[in-house]
Amino acid sequence: MRKLGHQKHYYLMLLPGMVWLVMFSIVPMFGILMAFQNYNPGMGLLKSEWVGLENFKYMFQLNDSKTVITNTLIIAVGKIVLNLIVPLVFAILLNELRNLRYKKLVQTVVYLPHFLSWVIMSTIVIGIFGYYGVVNTVFGYFGVDPQLFMADAGIFRQLIVGTDVWKEFGYNAIIYLAALTGVNPNLYEAAAIDGANRWQLIRHVTLPALTTTVVLLGVLSLGSVLNAGFDQVYNLYNPLVYSTGDILDTWVYRLGLQNLQFSLATAAGLFKSVISFVLIYISYRLAYRYADYTIF
Amino acid sequence: MKKNMALLLSTALLGVSLTACSSSNDSSNNSQESSSPETSSESPALSGDDLAFSKFPKPVDVHIGMVVDPTDKTLPEGDSVSNNQYTRYLKEKYNINVIVDWTAATGNDFKQKVSLTIASGKLPDGMVVDDRSFMTKAASSGLLYDIGELFDQYASKQVKDIMASTEGRALENASYKGKMVSLPNITVDTDGVHVMWIRKDWLDKLSLPVPKTVADLEKTAKAFIDNKLGGDKTIGIAGPSKNSFPYSTFLVSSNNMAGFDPIFGAMDAYPGYWLDNGDGTVSYGTTSENTKKTLALLADWYKKGLIDPEVGTRDNTGDPINANQTGIFFGPWWAGGYGNGDSFKNDPTANWQAYPVYSDDGKWNTHMKTTGSTYTVISKNAKPDVVKAILIMNNALVRDEATFDLSVAVGWYPLRNVMAAANETEYEYTELMKVLKGEAEPEDYNEPNSLYKLMYADAKKVRDVVKPPFDELGVSNFSTANFGDFQRLYSLLIGDRPFATTPIDKKVYSVTYNQTPTMETKWANLKKMEDETVLKIILGQAQLDSFDKFVKDWKAQGGDEITAEVAELLKK
Repeated sequence: MRKLGHQKHYYLMLLPGMVWLVMFSIVPMFGILMAFQNYNPGMGLLKSEWVGLENFKYMFQLNDSKTVITNTLIIAVGKIVLNLIVPLVFAILLNELRNLRYKKLVQTVVYLPHFLSWVIMSTIVIGIFGYYGVVNTVFGYFGVDPQLFMADAGIFRQLIVGTDVWKEFGYNAIIYLAALTGVNPNLYEAAAIDGANRWQLIRHVTLPALTTTVVLLGVLSLGSVLNAGFDQVYNLYNPLVYSTGDILDTWVYRLGLQNLQFSLATAAGLFKSVISFVLIYISYRLAYRYADYTIF
Repeated sequence: MKKNMALLLSTALLGVSLTACSSSNDSSNNSQESSSPETSSESPALSGDDLAFSKFPKPVDVHIGMVVDPTDKTLPEGDSVSNNQYTRYLKEKYNINVIVDWTAATGNDFKQKVSLTIASGKLPDGMVVDDRSFMTKAASSGLLYDIGELFDQYASKQVKDIMASTEGRALENASYKGKMVSLPNITVDTDGVHVMWIRKDWLDKLSLPVPKTVADLEKTAKAFIDNKLGGDKTIGIAGPSKNSFPYSTFLVSSNNMAGFDPIFGAMDAYPGYWLDNGDGTVSYGTTSENTKKTLALLADWYKKGLIDPEVGTRDNTGDPINANQTGIFFGPWWAGGYGNGDSFKNDPTANWQAYPVYSDDGKWNTHMKTTGSTYTVISKNAKPDVVKAILIMNNALVRDEATFDLSVAVGWYPLRNVMAAANETEYEYTELMKVLKGEAEPEDYNEPNSLYKLMYADAKKVRDVVKPPFDELGVSNFSTANFGDFQRLYSLLIGDRPFATTPIDKKVYSVTYNQTPTMETKWANLKKMEDETVLKIILGQAQLDSFDKFVKDWKAQGGDEITAEVAELLKK
């Protein structure tokens, strides 16, 4: 009791988060029931007709489900891999800079895009890759005909992954930069005395020091392997790129909110959540094994 | 942190549906208790139009969900969505308090909000939904008030006359399983007749005649681009944006801005429509040979650079039209005037004119729309007084719209759902021309409660806005002093001229304008396939042959089943 009194302010600080969690994550869990119903808004969750796994069966009969799952996996994996590597390279490069002011400036500039929502970013991306965009204007100087990048299913996924990495790499580099400050300077000094050049310093001191962080981040991001980024894709896609750009989340959105197939949309959402849960569990085990990282 | 969309969706759905479960029981009790309205005892003798325009003795609160146009700037400083000239009018005249529960921006935002509201099972007293599937979903879920009886008592004569002018089609449109569960929107027929809008001043500069056939159109568009009449980025022919459609369909059968409807018509193709083959069978227009030919033509035009290169991916087709970079676009009568006001503001000489596009043998073919595509739905839990209030609001709008100060956009009128006689625009065109030419006087139209509710007001304005000579009206005849009046009269006198003066050789109606049971689950998939195929062929991303594969897949994945259902409807 004395202990609790001592820590009172911690619990108080925890409270808003807990309330948020209950309201927006725990209570809505009951909505999952909808996936096993032929949901009728007039009758509500309790009285709607139960249909078992009917919605799931129908979902997998649709050609779309295969397309969107494939698209989701490709885009999400692409993002996970590049969002690990690009910030890592960037952080190492930045770490080698000797001019502190310039370093700070670069760091600030590259992480600014992280704070803009995709609603705004999509306008910028279209401004760059649109028919009259920057890229086509530059192409024009070299006599290349303008291309419709935004309508080209062949490059849409690359565009999505690329722009996401561009938006986030500055921010993602922060963790690596933090890890780099923890490297003992004695190691560098010792290596330098042994005659290591700059490249060898990176290879044999910096990288090994970062391995744990890389493994940890990589493993933890497994859980989001089905999260290809709704807001980004929704703001950038169009019917011409459905074949490569339509992801689970946008599909659920169109089914549920535009076509009023509430139960089918919930089933698709639940399917995604279950797979994600399994992946999170696996990643947790892996994180423990390879990086000795535990939450509980 | 990335939001899990599924979680988000179920959050939203569930959060509200739980509250809905608990509250729907309460409020249905409420409505039963209060179903003996106090007003009937206090105002016993009223009937007919007295009742239709009666003032409530005590204020009645009407909760609504409302669509707002975020670009609209006509609301005066200090006014708001729930306090403006329209809500004050309703308060003063009828003692109706309009309470706006939520607003959402026109387009996808509003659709999303309506969809979530229906999913939650908790509707505001009234809202105007813009898709029949919203109405039927809410009705089949038992969320809507059966307004039939109250409508008979409280609708004004004018409203009933307009309903009658559709010969029962409007009532059928507003009903679900024989019960009247919504107030239908009744729009003029010409909303579904798409014409060619072209820059006549550009034609004059190049001394070109008005194009008649698709072959003429091709030459004209090319000339516009070659001569850079709209600058370096001149667009010959505008096309749909990423949110609009290459052609109107049986579900959205009107008001398709910047689609290719007249081109399809000129090729005798009616994609998106269920066609009566005349032998007891039906077919889906998109799958026809003529549609394929038209797509080949459009693909050819696209390749030649005559069509907007950003067709299908553009955010808004209106932008290059208003920036006066576009020479030709297609749309209904209001598309020029109402639809492209900024074009005239940016270039007062932009002489947009409307003409039909003819087939090679000189025929004007067009598909025709359903009576209306928006619906005022009233919650089952609304009290009878509230239902009456909503009916009175509708009566008042129909009667008094012409007397409102339209410098504040009439879209701010709560639960505005247009009701107009089906031939209102043609009637107005003919009569307004008479007034201009001195064959009639504005006072001739001073008939209270006329079926043509805006006629008198327009007749009084027309001579101020339009200057002689009247034989060939162009933008130079119009005064833009009151821009709202300019837009309305421009659309009426220029935009509706083709439909009012040129006979149509072939009018094509869809066998149905509603979804059949199988469509409820399978249409989304088929529609997506159709949209993708059509756009890809036009943009040259897919060969024309892919059309045949589309037809085969379409039939196999539910198209045949649905065709059979539609054929059943034909037998009835």
